Amino acid sequence: MLLQIIVNGILKGGLYALMALGMSLIWGVMDIINIAHGAFIMLGAYCTYWLFNLWGVDPFISLFLSIIFMFIIGYGIQRYLINLVIRATIFITLILAFGIEIFINNLALVMWTADVRKVQVPYGASNFSIGCVTIPYVRLGAFFIALVIALVFYFVLNKTRTGRSIRATAQDLDAARLVGVDVAKTYALTFGMGVGAAGAAGTLWAVLFPINPMMGGILTLKSFVVVIIGGLGTMFGPIIGGLTLGVAEALGSNWFGTTYENFISFTILVLVLIFLPKGILGKSE
Amino acid sequence: MKSWGKWSKMILIFGLVFGLLISLNKGAFAKDVIKFGCAMSFTGKKSRTGKLYIDSLKLAAEAINKSGGIKVGNKSYNIEIKFYDDKSDPAESAKLIEKLVTEDKVNFLLGPYSSGITIPDSIVAQRYKIPMVEGGGASGKIFSRHNPYIFGTLPAAGQYFRTTLEMLLGFKPKPKTIALIYGDDKFDISVAKGAKKIAEKLGLKVVLYEKISEGSADFNTILTKVKAKAPDALLMAGHTEGGINLVQQAKELNVNVKMISLTVGPSEADFRKSLGKDAEYIFGVASWSPQMNFKGIIFKNTKEFVKIFKERYKYDPDYHNASAVAELAVFKSAIERAGTLDPQKVRDAIAKTKIETIYGPVEFNPNGQIKGSSVVLQIQGGQVYQVYPKGTKKPIYPMPKWKDR
Repeated sequence: MLLQIIVNGILKGGLYALMALGMSLIWGVMDIINIAHGAFIMLGAYCTYWLFNLWGVDPFISLFLSIIFMFIIGYGIQRYLINLVIRATIFITLILAFGIEIFINNLALVMWTADVRKVQVPYGASNFSIGCVTIPYVRLGAFFIALVIALVFYFVLNKTRTGRSIRATAQDLDAARLVGVDVAKTYALTFGMGVGAAGAAGTLWAVLFPINPMMGGILTLKSFVVVIIGGLGTMFGPIIGGLTLGVAEALGSNWFGTTYENFISFTILVLVLIFLPKGILGKSE
Repeated sequence: MKSWGKWSKMILIFGLVFGLLISLNKGAFAKDVIKFGCAMSFTGKKSRTGKLYIDSLKLAAEAINKSGGIKVGNKSYNIEIKFYDDKSDPAESAKLIEKLVTEDKVNFLLGPYSSGITIPDSIVAQRYKIPMVEGGGASGKIFSRHNPYIFGTLPAAGQYFRTTLEMLLGFKPKPKTIALIYGDDKFDISVAKGAKKIAEKLGLKVVLYEKISEGSADFNTILTKVKAKAPDALLMAGHTEGGINLVQQAKELNVNVKMISLTVGPSEADFRKSLGKDAEYIFGVASWSPQMNFKGIIFKNTKEFVKIFKERYKYDPDYHNASAVAELAVFKSAIERAGTLDPQKVRDAIAKTKIETIYGPVEFNPNGQIKGSSVVLQIQGGQVYQVYPKGTKKPIYPMPKWKDR
């Protein structure tokens, strides 16, 4: 039974990691704590839901569509909204993100009502067993997609010109501008990538759990915790953070009862902040 | 230019006077109204079930007005319900009830949905001494505060699973163990506590008794525990979304129990739509089902209500819908018996209610909660049937393993 619980935790950790990837990227590069992150995950989930229900597009195909769709939304929001206030204090961007979250949530509520919806794929709950451990296919898939997207991010950031300009902007804004990096565009690209990853997380969330317009809030919080635990500045931070949180929650709720799930998350957050203020993989300055 | 200005002024004055005359006239001819106030969850977590109450209350109010309204002495009144959205937030709901009483000056109050919200609302009703009839909260905590102004049409939460547990004893092979999990919510806790007591009295062993945090979507840990303990039946007191998660994840983790029973969910059309084939064989609990038939006060009988309801809203009514109709039926009968709109006298009349409605017979205990019990439902072939007691179909037990479906 313990083994099964650890496996559950690891698989859930993969989903957490995917959720947090985008938030970590945006935070690391632009110093924006994107409170609207959960709302973008929700939009990704609805994107998948409608593609599936109206045209029967399989979620693992609509995954790409929702990444693209969310990338465009993210790009637009950064380019024409957040870039306007990016030079202001962090507090202003925080408030703007908060406003965006409220706007998206309520728009979704008006358009789609608060009905609980579910993407009902035929293979939704299928699974296989190794010994006494049962593994659901979709969760395993989500886990691998999180890894793949982290690898793609890693590749883009380290091996491409765009990635180099993103990293340059993060390291030294003025120097980057001096050598000819289009900062506004780079920021928009980064935000688009982050929101695109949120879209992917939303797609997988929709296959696993029922969705509703207000689902984003708790997801923002969880992503936040994961980012802090894993540490900023590396694409593997969210993965380590996600896995840590997933396994800790699974074990904790087994030992102390499921009511304590959130209690455990936030206790870990506090402990990490005390003992490893930069997160597990965070680089010290 | 100047003369045009003068003309326009004259037209404006003429228009105003004319408009005033028309509105006065309309006021003189319109029937007097009895105003009801209701804070309901239009948005937020409870809004899906909240909508069921809103739909039903609107339909019932129209039906009352169409059939001549409510008679007070020799005069008949139309009714009007003033709704506000409480956003599924108890504090917001209590504030709105206060607003309904002090600003909108409503005559009577209708309850919100869910026990946690009903408690603060009922306290406001008590403060202003205005009777509230509610069909959305069943927790014993609402009725244990010696509040004379609250009346509920859902049976006591602690008794919710009684019929289910009694039915279990009749199955072969006879079930011996159950797992009982419940949400962190006033209603769910009341249900679970009551069910545990009843189960132990009936000789069933409760092998797992655990609370799940409200808002958590992940049931993997608890289901892994269930799998390890291998109980005969898994009973959950929770709300719709939790029920959907539980069933889907039980299948994901291949947790095979002989029976899954949920408090809220199976009776609702959305639950079946969300889970599709996986909803088959799931048991539910309800205080009412559309297959019952009672004579009504607002509608002729249950059958007619179900028919009218389905034509209007294109979905099957469930016990929430019927319970909402009962709220207004209680008020109609009580106001007519009291022969006045005085809140105190109407309250006393409500306490003495003994009527038959499309929801079933309504009679209140001294604490304000309805005397009555729940029936057991099961989803079979995509439809919900009452299976116990005296159901239209026989319960199917044990349910087939996930792999054999």
